[in-house]
Amino acid sequence: MKEILNIKNTKERIDRIEDILASVASGDMDARINSEIEDDFSGIEAAIDLLINDLTDELRQRENMQKELENKLSKIQDQQKTILQQQEDLLELSSPVSKVWDNILILPVIGTLDSQRTQVMMENLLQKIVETGCTISILDITGVPTVDTQVANHLLKTVTAARLLGAECIISGISPAIAQTIVHLGIDLSAIRTKATLQDAMIFAMKQNKRADEVRALGNLALPNEKTD
Amino acid sequence: MLEFTYKAHCDLLGKFKIDTEYDIVTVRQTIRQYAKDMGMGIVDQTRITTAVSELFRNMYNYAGGGEVLIERGEVENHHALIVTCTDQGPGIEDIELAMTDGYTSGQGMGYGLPGAKRLVDRFEIQSKLKEGTTVRMMKWK
Ligand SMILES: Nc1ncnc2c1ncn2[C@@H]1O[C@H](COP(=O)(O)OP(=O)(O)OP(=O)(O)O)[C@@H](O)[C@H]1O
Ligand SMILES: [Mg+2]
Repeated sequence: MKEILNIKNTKERIDRIEDILASVASGDMDARINSEIEDDFSGIEAAIDLLINDLTDELRQRENMQKELENKLSKIQDQQKTILQQQEDLLELSSPVSKVWDNILILPVIGTLDSQRTQVMMENLLQKIVETGCTISILDITGVPTVDTQVANHLLKTVTAARLLGAECIISGISPAIAQTIVHLGIDLSAIRTKATLQDAMIFAMKQNKRADEVRALGNLALPNEKTD
Repeated sequence: MLEFTYKAHCDLLGKFKIDTEYDIVTVRQTIRQYAKDMGMGIVDQTRITTAVSELFRNMYNYAGGGEVLIERGEVENHHALIVTCTDQGPGIEDIELAMTDGYTSGQGMGYGLPGAKRLVDRFEIQSKLKEGTTVRMMKWK
Protein backbone atom coordinates (compact mmCIF):
# COMPACT_ATOMS: atom_id res chain seq x y z
CA MET A 1 0.00 0.00 0.00
CA LYS A 2 1.43 3.34 -0.97
CA GLU A 3 0.91 6.49 1.01
CA ILE A 4 0.64 9.64 -1.02
CA LEU A 5 2.79 12.47 0.46
CA ASN A 6 1.37 15.93 0.44
CA ILE A 7 4.26 18.20 -0.63
CA LYS A 8 3.99 21.54 -2.36
CA ASN A 9 6.68 23.23 -4.46
CA THR A 10 9.12 20.35 -3.90
CA LYS A 11 11.76 21.56 -6.28
CA GLU A 12 11.96 25.15 -4.98
CA ARG A 13 11.97 24.01 -1.35
CA ILE A 14 14.77 21.52 -1.84
CA ASP A 15 16.71 24.23 -3.66
CA ARG A 16 16.10 26.55 -0.72
CA ILE A 17 17.36 23.94 1.76
CA GLU A 18 20.48 23.53 -0.33
CA ASP A 19 20.97 27.31 -0.40
CA ILE A 20 20.51 27.65 3.35
CA LEU A 21 22.89 24.78 4.12
CA ALA A 22 25.44 26.31 1.76
CA SER A 23 25.09 29.70 3.53
CA VAL A 24 25.51 28.07 6.93
CA ALA A 25 28.51 26.11 5.72
CA SER A 26 30.11 29.33 4.53
CA GLY A 27 29.64 30.92 7.94
CA ASP A 28 26.29 32.71 7.81
CA MET A 29 24.83 31.48 11.05
CA ASP A 30 21.66 33.58 10.72
CA ALA A 31 20.36 31.72 7.68
CA ARG A 32 17.21 29.68 8.38
CA ILE A 33 14.68 28.00 6.15
CA ASN A 34 11.68 29.48 8.01
CA SER A 35 9.17 27.72 5.81
CA GLU A 36 5.62 29.09 6.06
CA ILE A 37 4.08 26.13 4.33
CA GLU A 38 2.53 23.37 6.44
CA ASP A 39 2.65 19.97 4.88
CA ASP A 40 4.42 16.59 5.11
CA PHE A 41 7.79 18.21 4.31
CA SER A 42 7.73 21.14 6.75
CA GLY A 43 8.78 18.81 9.64
CA ILE A 44 12.09 18.20 7.92
CA GLU A 45 12.57 21.91 7.27
CA ALA A 46 11.88 22.70 10.92
CA ALA A 47 14.29 19.97 12.02
CA ILE A 48 17.05 21.40 9.83
CA ASP A 49 16.44 24.86 11.32
CA LEU A 50 16.74 23.37 14.80
CA LEU A 51 19.96 21.68 13.88
CA ILE A 52 21.34 24.97 12.59
CA ASN A 53 20.29 26.60 15.89
CA ASP A 54 22.18 23.97 17.89
CA LEU A 55 25.21 24.31 15.68
CA THR A 56 25.16 28.09 16.06
CA ASP A 57 24.97 27.83 19.84
CA GLU A 58 27.85 25.45 19.96
CA LEU A 59 29.97 27.57 17.68
CA ARG A 60 29.26 30.66 19.80
CA GLN A 61 30.28 28.79 22.93
CA ARG A 62 33.45 27.62 21.27
CA GLU A 63 34.23 31.15 20.13
CA ASN A 64 33.68 32.47 23.65
CA MET A 65 35.87 29.81 25.11
CA GLN A 66 38.56 30.55 22.61
CA LYS A 67 38.38 34.25 23.37
CA GLU A 68 38.61 33.51 27.07
CA LEU A 69 41.62 31.27 26.48
CA GLU A 70 43.26 33.91 24.34
CA ASN A 71 42.68 36.50 27.05
CA LYS A 72 44.18 34.24 29.66
CA LEU A 73 47.11 33.44 27.42
CA SER A 74 47.86 37.08 26.75
CA LYS A 75 47.64 37.78 30.48
CA ILE A 76 50.11 34.99 31.16
CA GLN A 77 52.36 36.29 28.42
CA ASP A 78 52.21 39.74 29.96
CA GLN A 79 53.13 38.33 33.34
CA GLN A 80 55.94 36.38 31.79
CA LYS A 81 57.21 39.52 30.13
CA THR A 82 57.14 41.34 33.45
CA ILE A 83 59.04 38.52 35.11
CA LEU A 84 61.61 38.44 32.32
CA GLN A 85 61.95 42.20 32.54
CA GLN A 86 62.45 41.98 36.28
CA GLN A 87 64.99 39.25 35.79
CA GLU A 88 66.82 41.39 33.30
CA ASP A 89 66.75 44.33 35.68
CA LEU A 90 68.20 42.07 38.33
CA LEU A 91 70.86 40.96 35.90
CA GLU A 92 71.86 44.51 35.24
CA LEU A 93 71.92 45.25 38.93
CA SER A 94 73.98 42.22 39.72
CA SER A 95 76.74 43.05 37.30
CA PRO A 96 77.63 46.64 38.12
CA VAL A 97 80.79 47.82 36.47
CA SER A 98 82.37 50.81 38.10
CA LYS A 99 85.40 52.92 37.61
CA VAL A 100 87.07 52.83 41.00
CA TRP A 101 90.30 54.53 40.17
CA ASP A 102 91.96 56.30 37.36
CA ASN A 103 92.04 53.88 34.43
CA ILE A 104 90.73 50.94 36.52
CA LEU A 105 87.34 49.24 36.21
CA ILE A 106 86.02 46.74 38.71
CA LEU A 107 83.31 44.21 38.09
CA PRO A 108 82.40 42.20 41.16
CA VAL A 109 80.53 39.09 40.13
CA ILE A 110 78.18 37.70 42.72
CA GLY A 111 76.14 34.53 42.54
CA THR A 112 75.81 32.09 39.75
CA LEU A 113 77.06 32.72 36.28
CA ASP A 114 74.54 31.22 33.93
CA SER A 115 75.07 31.89 30.26
CA GLN A 116 72.53 34.71 30.16
CA ARG A 117 74.11 36.55 33.04
CA THR A 118 77.57 36.09 31.67
CA GLN A 119 76.41 37.56 28.40
CA VAL A 120 75.04 40.66 30.13
CA MET A 121 78.11 40.94 32.29
CA MET A 122 80.44 40.70 29.34
CA GLU A 123 78.50 43.28 27.34
CA ASN A 124 78.43 45.68 30.29
CA LEU A 125 82.12 45.35 30.86
CA LEU A 126 83.07 45.81 27.21
CA GLN A 127 80.79 48.80 26.88
CA LYS A 128 82.27 50.38 29.98
CA ILE A 129 85.77 49.79 28.65
CA VAL A 130 84.85 51.64 25.47
CA GLU A 131 83.04 54.45 27.32
CA THR A 132 85.75 55.12 29.88
CA GLY A 133 88.83 54.19 27.91
CA CYS A 134 90.12 52.34 30.97
CA THR A 135 92.88 49.91 30.12
CA ILE A 136 92.70 47.72 33.23
CA SER A 137 89.64 45.88 34.41
CA ILE A 138 89.31 43.59 37.38
CA LEU A 139 86.78 40.81 37.39
CA ASP A 140 86.31 39.71 40.96
CA ILE A 141 84.68 36.30 41.28
CA THR A 142 84.91 35.93 45.07
CA GLY A 143 81.12 35.65 45.09
CA VAL A 144 80.90 32.90 42.50
CA PRO A 145 80.44 29.52 44.20
CA THR A 146 81.01 27.23 41.22
CA VAL A 147 83.35 27.61 38.28
CA ASP A 148 82.68 24.88 35.76
CA THR A 149 83.86 24.61 32.15
CA GLN A 150 81.10 26.86 30.90
CA VAL A 151 81.90 29.65 33.36
CA ALA A 152 85.62 29.27 32.67
CA ASN A 153 84.93 29.44 28.96
CA HIS A 154 82.91 32.64 29.42
CA LEU A 155 85.66 34.16 31.54
CA LEU A 156 88.25 33.36 28.89
CA LYS A 157 86.07 34.88 26.21
CA THR A 158 85.48 38.01 28.26
CA VAL A 159 89.18 38.44 28.85
CA THR A 160 89.95 37.92 25.17
CA ALA A 161 87.30 40.40 24.07
CA ALA A 162 88.53 42.99 26.58
CA ARG A 163 92.05 42.50 25.28
CA LEU A 164 90.84 43.17 21.76
CA LEU A 165 89.53 46.51 23.03
CA GLY A 166 92.91 47.28 24.49
CA ALA A 167 92.14 46.52 28.11
CA GLU A 168 93.84 44.02 30.31
CA CYS A 169 91.53 41.92 32.42
CA ILE A 170 92.60 40.58 35.80
CA ILE A 171 90.55 37.92 37.51
CA SER A 172 90.61 37.94 41.27
CA GLY A 173 88.96 35.98 44.02
CA ILE A 174 89.52 32.42 42.88
CA SER A 175 89.36 30.45 46.11
CA PRO A 176 91.85 27.62 46.76
CA ALA A 177 89.06 25.05 46.40
CA ILE A 178 87.99 26.49 43.07
CA ALA A 179 91.61 26.75 41.90
CA GLN A 180 92.12 23.03 42.61
CA THR A 181 88.89 22.17 40.89
CA ILE A 182 89.81 24.14 37.78
CA VAL A 183 93.13 22.30 37.63
CA HIS A 184 91.36 18.93 37.86
CA LEU A 185 88.90 19.92 35.19
CA GLY A 186 91.95 20.42 33.03
CA ILE A 187 91.19 23.97 32.00
CA ASP A 188 94.19 26.13 31.25
CA LEU A 189 93.68 29.60 32.64
CA SER A 190 97.34 30.53 32.35
CA ALA A 191 96.51 32.97 29.57
CA ILE A 192 94.59 34.99 32.13
CA ARG A 193 96.24 37.14 34.72
CA THR A 194 94.81 36.10 38.07
CA LYS A 195 95.26 37.47 41.57
CA ALA A 196 94.21 35.79 44.80
CA THR A 197 92.24 38.70 46.19
CA LEU A 198 90.62 41.86 44.94
CA GLN A 199 93.14 43.79 46.99
CA ASP A 200 96.07 42.09 45.25
CA ALA A 201 94.46 42.84 41.93
CA MET A 202 94.02 46.52 42.86
CA ILE A 203 97.65 46.83 43.94
CA PHE A 204 98.78 45.23 40.71
CA ALA A 205 96.53 47.48 38.66
CA MET A 206 97.81 50.63 40.36
CA LYS A 207 101.39 49.57 39.77
CA GLN A 208 100.56 49.12 36.11
CA ASN A 209 99.04 52.58 36.13
CA LYS A 210 102.15 54.07 37.65
CA ARG A 211 104.32 52.35 35.11
CA ALA A 212 102.12 53.67 32.33
CA ASP A 213 102.42 57.19 33.77
CA GLU A 214 106.18 56.89 33.86
CA VAL A 215 106.29 55.73 30.28
CA ARG A 216 104.05 58.61 29.31
CA ALA A 217 106.29 61.04 31.19
CA LEU A 218 109.27 59.67 29.33
CA GLY A 219 107.36 60.10 26.13
CA ASN A 220 106.67 63.75 26.98
CA LEU A 221 110.33 64.33 27.60
CA ALA A 222 111.24 62.64 24.38
CA LEU A 223 108.73 64.50 22.32
CA PRO A 224 110.35 67.99 22.28
CA ASN A 225 113.71 66.41 21.48
CA GLU A 226 112.17 64.70 18.55
CA LYS A 227 110.83 67.99 17.31
CA THR A 228 114.17 69.74 17.49
CA ASP A 229 115.82 66.94 15.57
CA MET B 1 67.83 -0.37 31.32
CA LEU B 2 71.46 0.50 31.81
CA GLU B 3 73.37 -1.67 34.24
CA PHE B 4 76.24 -0.43 36.31
CA THR B 5 79.04 -2.39 37.83
CA TYR B 6 79.03 -0.46 41.06
CA LYS B 7 76.03 -1.83 42.85
CA ALA B 8 75.75 -0.10 46.12
CA HIS B 9 73.50 -0.36 49.11
CA CYS B 10 72.00 3.08 49.05
CA ASP B 11 69.50 5.43 50.59
CA LEU B 12 67.68 7.68 48.20
CA LEU B 13 68.24 11.33 49.09
CA GLY B 14 66.42 12.97 46.23
CA LYS B 15 65.26 12.85 42.66
CA PHE B 16 65.17 15.96 40.49
CA LYS B 17 64.49 17.05 36.96
CA ILE B 18 66.86 19.26 35.01
CA ASP B 19 64.85 21.25 32.52
CA THR B 20 66.24 24.76 32.83
CA GLU B 21 69.44 26.56 33.71
CA TYR B 22 67.74 27.48 36.94
CA ASP B 23 67.35 23.76 37.76
CA ILE B 24 71.06 23.30 37.15
CA VAL B 25 71.83 25.88 39.80
CA THR B 26 69.32 24.76 42.44
CA VAL B 27 70.01 21.03 42.19
CA ARG B 28 73.73 21.71 42.20
CA GLN B 29 73.26 23.67 45.42
CA THR B 30 71.24 20.80 46.88
CA ILE B 31 74.08 18.39 46.13
CA ARG B 32 76.60 20.71 47.72
CA GLN B 33 74.43 20.70 50.85
CA TYR B 34 74.27 16.88 50.89
CA ALA B 35 78.06 16.73 50.54
CA LYS B 36 78.39 19.15 53.41
CA ASP B 37 75.93 17.17 55.55
CA MET B 38 77.98 14.03 54.91
CA GLY B 39 80.97 15.84 56.35
CA MET B 40 82.91 16.56 53.19
CA GLY B 41 85.35 19.46 53.31
CA ILE B 42 85.12 22.54 51.13
CA VAL B 43 87.43 21.13 48.45
CA ASP B 44 85.44 17.91 48.05
CA GLN B 45 82.16 19.85 48.14
CA THR B 46 83.43 22.07 45.35
CA ARG B 47 84.65 19.08 43.34
CA ILE B 48 81.42 17.12 43.42
CA THR B 49 79.36 20.27 42.82
CA THR B 50 81.44 21.19 39.79
CA ALA B 51 81.36 17.62 38.45
CA VAL B 52 77.56 17.44 38.65
CA SER B 53 77.33 20.89 37.12
CA GLU B 54 79.14 19.51 34.05
CA LEU B 55 76.74 16.59 33.74
CA PHE B 56 73.68 18.80 34.23
CA ARG B 57 74.86 21.23 31.59
CA ASN B 58 75.49 18.39 29.16
CA MET B 59 71.98 17.05 29.74
CA TYR B 60 70.57 20.53 29.28
CA ASN B 61 72.66 21.34 26.21
CA TYR B 62 72.64 18.06 24.33
CA ALA B 63 69.61 16.10 25.55
CA GLY B 64 67.11 18.84 26.32
CA GLY B 65 67.22 17.96 30.00
CA GLY B 66 67.18 14.90 32.16
CA GLU B 67 66.81 13.41 35.58
CA VAL B 68 69.07 13.25 38.61
CA LEU B 69 69.08 10.65 41.33
CA ILE B 70 71.00 11.42 44.49
CA GLU B 71 71.87 8.60 46.84
CA ARG B 72 74.03 7.93 49.83
CA GLY B 73 75.54 4.52 50.33
CA GLU B 74 78.34 2.25 51.37
CA VAL B 75 80.57 1.35 48.43
CA GLU B 76 83.85 -0.53 48.76
CA ASN B 77 84.01 0.42 52.43
CA HIS B 78 83.52 4.09 51.72
CA HIS B 79 80.71 6.44 52.62
CA ALA B 80 79.71 7.55 49.17
CA LEU B 81 77.61 10.29 47.70
CA ILE B 82 76.21 8.86 44.48
CA VAL B 83 74.77 10.98 41.71
CA THR B 84 73.17 9.41 38.67
CA CYS B 85 72.17 11.52 35.68
CA THR B 86 69.90 10.02 33.07
CA ASP B 87 68.65 11.57 29.88
CA GLN B 88 66.63 10.45 26.90
CA GLY B 89 68.69 12.48 24.48
CA PRO B 90 70.43 11.49 21.25
CA GLY B 91 73.08 9.47 23.02
CA ILE B 92 76.83 9.63 22.47
CA GLU B 93 78.20 7.89 19.42
CA ASP B 94 81.80 7.55 20.52
CA ILE B 95 82.19 7.60 24.29
CA GLU B 96 85.95 7.37 24.15
CA LEU B 97 86.05 10.47 21.97
CA ALA B 98 83.58 12.31 24.21
CA MET B 99 85.79 11.48 27.20
CA THR B 100 88.84 12.98 25.49
CA ASP B 101 90.21 16.26 26.83
CA GLY B 102 89.33 19.07 24.50
CA TYR B 103 86.79 17.22 22.40
CA THR B 104 83.55 19.12 21.88
CA SER B 105 80.89 18.70 19.25
CA GLY B 106 79.72 22.24 19.89
CA GLN B 107 81.15 25.48 21.25
CA GLY B 108 82.32 24.10 24.59
CA MET B 109 85.83 23.59 25.87
CA GLY B 110 85.49 19.83 25.75
CA TYR B 111 86.59 19.35 29.34
CA GLY B 112 83.22 18.64 30.93
CA LEU B 113 83.16 14.84 30.87
CA PRO B 114 86.87 14.08 31.31
CA GLY B 115 87.12 16.86 33.90
CA ALA B 116 84.16 15.54 35.88
CA LYS B 117 85.75 12.10 35.87
CA ARG B 118 88.91 13.51 37.43
CA LEU B 119 86.91 15.30 40.11
CA VAL B 120 85.21 12.21 41.54
CA ASP B 121 86.22 8.78 42.85
CA ARG B 122 84.09 6.68 40.54
CA PHE B 123 82.75 7.62 37.16
CA GLU B 124 80.75 5.49 34.79
CA ILE B 125 79.06 6.41 31.58
CA GLN B 126 76.78 4.43 29.35
CA SER B 127 75.05 5.65 26.27
CA LYS B 128 72.99 4.31 23.45
CA LEU B 129 72.28 6.20 20.26
CA LYS B 130 68.73 7.55 20.05
CA GLU B 131 67.99 6.23 23.56
CA GLY B 132 70.01 8.38 25.88
CA THR B 133 72.90 8.65 28.26
CA THR B 134 73.43 7.73 31.88
CA VAL B 135 76.34 8.84 33.99
CA ARG B 136 76.93 7.74 37.55
CA MET B 137 79.48 9.40 39.78
CA MET B 138 80.55 8.63 43.31
CA LYS B 139 82.46 10.73 45.73
CA TRP B 140 83.86 9.21 48.89
CA LYS B 141 83.49 11.05 52.17
N1 LIG C 1 74.18 13.86 27.76
C1 LIG C 1 74.71 13.90 26.54
N2 LIG C 1 73.96 13.56 25.43
C2 LIG C 1 74.51 13.61 24.21
N3 LIG C 1 75.77 14.01 23.95
C3 LIG C 1 76.55 14.35 24.98
C4 LIG C 1 76.08 14.33 26.32
N4 LIG C 1 77.08 14.72 27.13
C5 LIG C 1 78.13 14.97 26.34
N5 LIG C 1 77.83 14.77 25.05
C6 LIG C 1 78.75 14.89 23.90
O1 LIG C 1 80.08 14.74 24.37
C7 LIG C 1 80.87 15.88 24.03
C8 LIG C 1 81.88 16.15 25.12
O2 LIG C 1 81.22 16.58 26.31
P1 LIG C 1 81.99 17.50 27.34
O3 LIG C 1 81.10 17.85 28.45
O4 LIG C 1 83.28 16.83 27.69
O5 LIG C 1 82.37 18.79 26.48
P2 LIG C 1 81.41 19.97 26.00
O6 LIG C 1 80.10 19.89 26.70
O7 LIG C 1 81.38 19.96 24.52
O8 LIG C 1 82.19 21.28 26.47
P3 LIG C 1 82.36 21.78 28.00
O9 LIG C 1 81.68 20.78 28.88
O10 LIG C 1 83.83 21.83 28.23
O11 LIG C 1 81.73 23.12 28.08
C9 LIG C 1 79.87 17.00 23.82
O12 LIG C 1 80.37 17.97 22.95
C10 LIG C 1 78.68 16.24 23.23
O13 LIG C 1 78.84 16.04 21.85
MG1 LIG D 1 79.95 19.71 28.78
